[in-house]
Amino acid sequence: MELHILEHRVRVLSLARPGLWLYTHPLIKLLFLPRRSRCKFFSLTETPEDYTLMVDEEGFKELPPSEFLQVAEATWLVLNVSSHSGAAVQAAGVTKIARSVIAPLAEHHVSVLMLSTYQTDFILVREQDLSVVIHTLAQEFDIYREVGGEPVPVARDDSSNGFPRAQHGPSPTVHPIQSPQNRFCVLTLDPETLPAIATTLIDVLFYSHRFPSDLLLTSSSGELWRMVRIGGQPLGFDECGIVAQIAGPLAAADISAYYISTFNFDHALVPEDGIDSVIEVLQRRQEGLGS
Amino acid sequence: MSGTKPDILWAPHQVDRFVVCDSELSLYHVESTVNSELKAGSLRLSEDSAATLLSINSETPYMKCVAWYLNYDPECLLAVGQANGRVVLTSLGQDHNSKFKDLIGKEFVPKHARQCNTLAWNPLDSNWLAAGLDKHRADFSVLIWDICSKYTPDIVPLEKVRLSAGETETTLLVTKPLYELGQNDACLSLCWLPRDQKLLLAGMHRNLAIFDLRNTSQKMFVNTKAVQGVTVDPYFHDRVASFYEGQVAIWDLRKFEKPVLTLTEQPKPLTKVAWCPTRTGLLATLTRDSNIIRLYDMQHTPTPIGDETEPTIIERSVQPCDNYIASFAWHPTSQNRMIVVTPNRTMSDFTVFERISLAWSPITSLMWACGRHLYECAEEENDNSLEKDIATKMRLRALSRYGLDTEQVWRNHILAGNEDPQLKSLWYTLHFMKQYTEDMDQKSPGNKGSLVYAGIKSIVKSSLGVVESSRHNWSGLDKQTDTQNLNEERILALQLCGWIKKGMDVDVGPFLNSLVQEGEWERAAAVALFNLDIRRAIQILNEGASSGKGDLNLNVVAMALSGYTDEKNSLWREMCSTLRLQLNNPYLCVMFAFLTSEAGSYDGVLYENKVAVRDRVAFACKFLSDSQGSPLDVLKDERVQYWIENYRNLLDAWRFWHKRAEFDIHRSKLDPSSKPLAQVFVSCNFCGKSISYSCSTVPHQGRGFSQYGVSGSPTKSKVTSCPGCRKPLPRCALCLINMGTPVSSCPGGSKSDEKVDLSKDKKLAQFNNWFTWCHNCRHGGHAGHMLSWFRDHAECPVSACTCKCMQLDTTGNLVPAETVQP
Repeated sequence: MELHILEHRVRVLSLARPGLWLYTHPLIKLLFLPRRSRCKFFSLTETPEDYTLMVDEEGFKELPPSEFLQVAEATWLVLNVSSHSGAAVQAAGVTKIARSVIAPLAEHHVSVLMLSTYQTDFILVREQDLSVVIHTLAQEFDIYREVGGEPVPVARDDSSNGFPRAQHGPSPTVHPIQSPQNRFCVLTLDPETLPAIATTLIDVLFYSHRFPSDLLLTSSSGELWRMVRIGGQPLGFDECGIVAQIAGPLAAADISAYYISTFNFDHALVPEDGIDSVIEVLQRRQEGLGS
Repeated sequence: MSGTKPDILWAPHQVDRFVVCDSELSLYHVESTVNSELKAGSLRLSEDSAATLLSINSETPYMKCVAWYLNYDPECLLAVGQANGRVVLTSLGQDHNSKFKDLIGKEFVPKHARQCNTLAWNPLDSNWLAAGLDKHRADFSVLIWDICSKYTPDIVPLEKVRLSAGETETTLLVTKPLYELGQNDACLSLCWLPRDQKLLLAGMHRNLAIFDLRNTSQKMFVNTKAVQGVTVDPYFHDRVASFYEGQVAIWDLRKFEKPVLTLTEQPKPLTKVAWCPTRTGLLATLTRDSNIIRLYDMQHTPTPIGDETEPTIIERSVQPCDNYIASFAWHPTSQNRMIVVTPNRTMSDFTVFERISLAWSPITSLMWACGRHLYECAEEENDNSLEKDIATKMRLRALSRYGLDTEQVWRNHILAGNEDPQLKSLWYTLHFMKQYTEDMDQKSPGNKGSLVYAGIKSIVKSSLGVVESSRHNWSGLDKQTDTQNLNEERILALQLCGWIKKGMDVDVGPFLNSLVQEGEWERAAAVALFNLDIRRAIQILNEGASSGKGDLNLNVVAMALSGYTDEKNSLWREMCSTLRLQLNNPYLCVMFAFLTSEAGSYDGVLYENKVAVRDRVAFACKFLSDSQGSPLDVLKDERVQYWIENYRNLLDAWRFWHKRAEFDIHRSKLDPSSKPLAQVFVSCNFCGKSISYSCSTVPHQGRGFSQYGVSGSPTKSKVTSCPGCRKPLPRCALCLINMGTPVSSCPGGSKSDEKVDLSKDKKLAQFNNWFTWCHNCRHGGHAGHMLSWFRDHAECPVSACTCKCMQLDTTGNLVPAETVQP
């Protein structure tokens, strides 16, 4: 298995809903004209509370500061796992990397943000944690750092001195979960078709907040997803093990999931027909710790 | 495609049809319009072709890629890859073969929707279709579908899904691929490897991978960015091209670690790379926003292997139309032909013109190759035109041993055909020179060779004393010879030129008389004038005019001559210097040039090429000062060396090998340094020394053969053993006798002169006794034996050896031209 440390240096921001009008222009630019802004990593997540933005430094420059914009202090690096082995792993999404990446990082007190997409899962770690990340994951992965688009192998540091030893045991805080009734559809788009649907997207993002029904790119199995929100209060960025306490039990039950972190809360998307068992699994986790 | 950029495809079998695809599929038929008017509704593709639209299919939206079914039947079956990853079979043909009718409309659906980037039909199993998809997390990106999967229901269960009740048509949805490959990756390009039905080459997200369907858990891959547009060279199945942005990488699958070469980077990103199916090693590339197609001709490197053999590539560009090109397609059978389509769907039929390679034959014909055609341009068998060509002339002369008579040198001009007075004059001069040197040799044997063939200019130069130009002694019309002022060397030169006879007599009279007798009045008059005897010149001209054989105009010339005046600005001088150029006879012309020239500058005489060289040299001897001569050591001159080498090569090219050898022999007599060195040596297997080292002081003339010549030394030991270690030499494969022994008489056709009693040494030096061997199988023996063996056999005489030795020898099958020519 290979772990790629991508080039992007990412900032995480929260845009308060009332401030959206102020950022319409830079957001459209980042979305539809990535060459203009030279932004190569851009994510926008709408939640009932706010808009969470994850952008690289080029994209960050496009966003003027204002009272509506909250910026997390740290700079984040993006990790991506790819396996060239033909090993048949059927479970998709965060489940696949729960055991190999998420759990070890939690054990070494590395706080992570997750961003699942149609194609792959990105793991964001703070830049200052990078040496710990490399040290932790070097056992299991061939680690490459991308420099100018080319993967450069990262020399494995064998000296374990100076790094905190793994502390076993689950995360002290068990966060509550809730699952709204909304059903979600996960889609992918060919970048070339982006101009053709630009008006639809702009409408969805900034005005109607309702996705049109005549969808082109539905999954053939027509699967729909339910969301599980993690956290009663805003989670912050320092606590580690949040992703692990969700992904771990899901992986153990072999349930596929998309996992999206936002500024305040984490969200997991799980198959619609499996929502009951997911809630059951996660509730059991709560009880197991509570007892 | 995606609505904006059309693609174009030739039908693989019905080769007069092609499809343009953007938002819909349009089938066109190409017709030749050489002798006919453009039909209504036809689109002109080129000067001699037009296209007619046959049908349009707009049933398949969201097309991303299209691939034409490779089997003959049905002809117009196309696979369309869509933006949601589905692959749909559709048709453009009018008459659907019933057997395949239920294939039309069949859809192949991946588990997760994402764009279908590429499609490839298997060239060996026509029902296999590979689709390359974008990435979806842990899903597979390469799916191989069997389009006839219903015929093998045990392996792949077919799911028939009846759609909503309103639709009467049943759609066949296939969701289970035959093979799933490339998990957790994206596939950008695909091609099947012709080596095996189950080998698939895929350009994945960051690597090129070869999937072997016999063992899908294994793959061979190499990390690279050049993953776009993988395509196999149809002529060399191990050669593959792929690209990334502006750079094309060429791979050798046998050495897959890195590209065997990368082509020069182009400023814009590439959009298509395709091997020409009708010509080996020709790769066409197209970049975005460009109206040219760049071609790379890898003709000279059929199998580039290894780092050291960086092949030479000829790069060139063609411009099929003025607009930007959206896509192009090579014609499957018509040589070097392609069709291009522009973004606004104008099309152009274009044939890439072959580079022409041209070669002159050494015998007046010209050959050139263009594509698969070979053209010969030979002169007509017309005596006049043949006469004009220097190659023919030289060849005929070489055939008649021109230049090779070194005893009676003057005879060479007769060998040349006795037609050219210049040659006659040249060879006589050389003859005189030779005679002179022989005389010198007789006179002073000790001084032998000091002046031999050093060239007449050197002879002139060798006179160290300063000779004043005799021009100063010119005084009017008086007959006054000033030969007293000519030193011995110059007299010698004049003798060589034939102006004066040998001995002490310096009178030019006898020479003039001989010229008059031969009717060369103009020349005689000129020589007389150059000897400052203008009266005699006029007299000779008069004689000529009155003799009846000469030109009557000679009288006029004589009159003009008599008007000579020394006055610098006279009318006579002015008129003569301009009108002389209209005189046809070169000697008359130079006479006036001489009379009107300034003292010391006689270029008008010296560079009049029609005047015999020896007359000009003699003139120079009389009138030029020493400093004006330009002595050169002729043989050492680079140009002369070059001429000689080229002449030898020409003789070889004419297959006049014996003439060339004769030339070499004569040449080496004059210039020992020109002897070619031995190029091949036979070394003894036991001691490693050359077996001919005992006679190494006598280099042979052969080229490519090792001659086991035997020196004349009477003390030498047995010739059948190595002179170094005395071990026996190898045996002849035919007579089984050790080499070094004379050949037993050839059975049958031995010539009578071979039976003349020869000494043993001479016998051994005969060509029949030479060593010869095949460079391939290393068997051999006496040259004579080998020659007679291969007259009747193609294979090596050694019983277990199947080497076709003689066929490997390209020159061995050629016959010396002298024996063939009339």
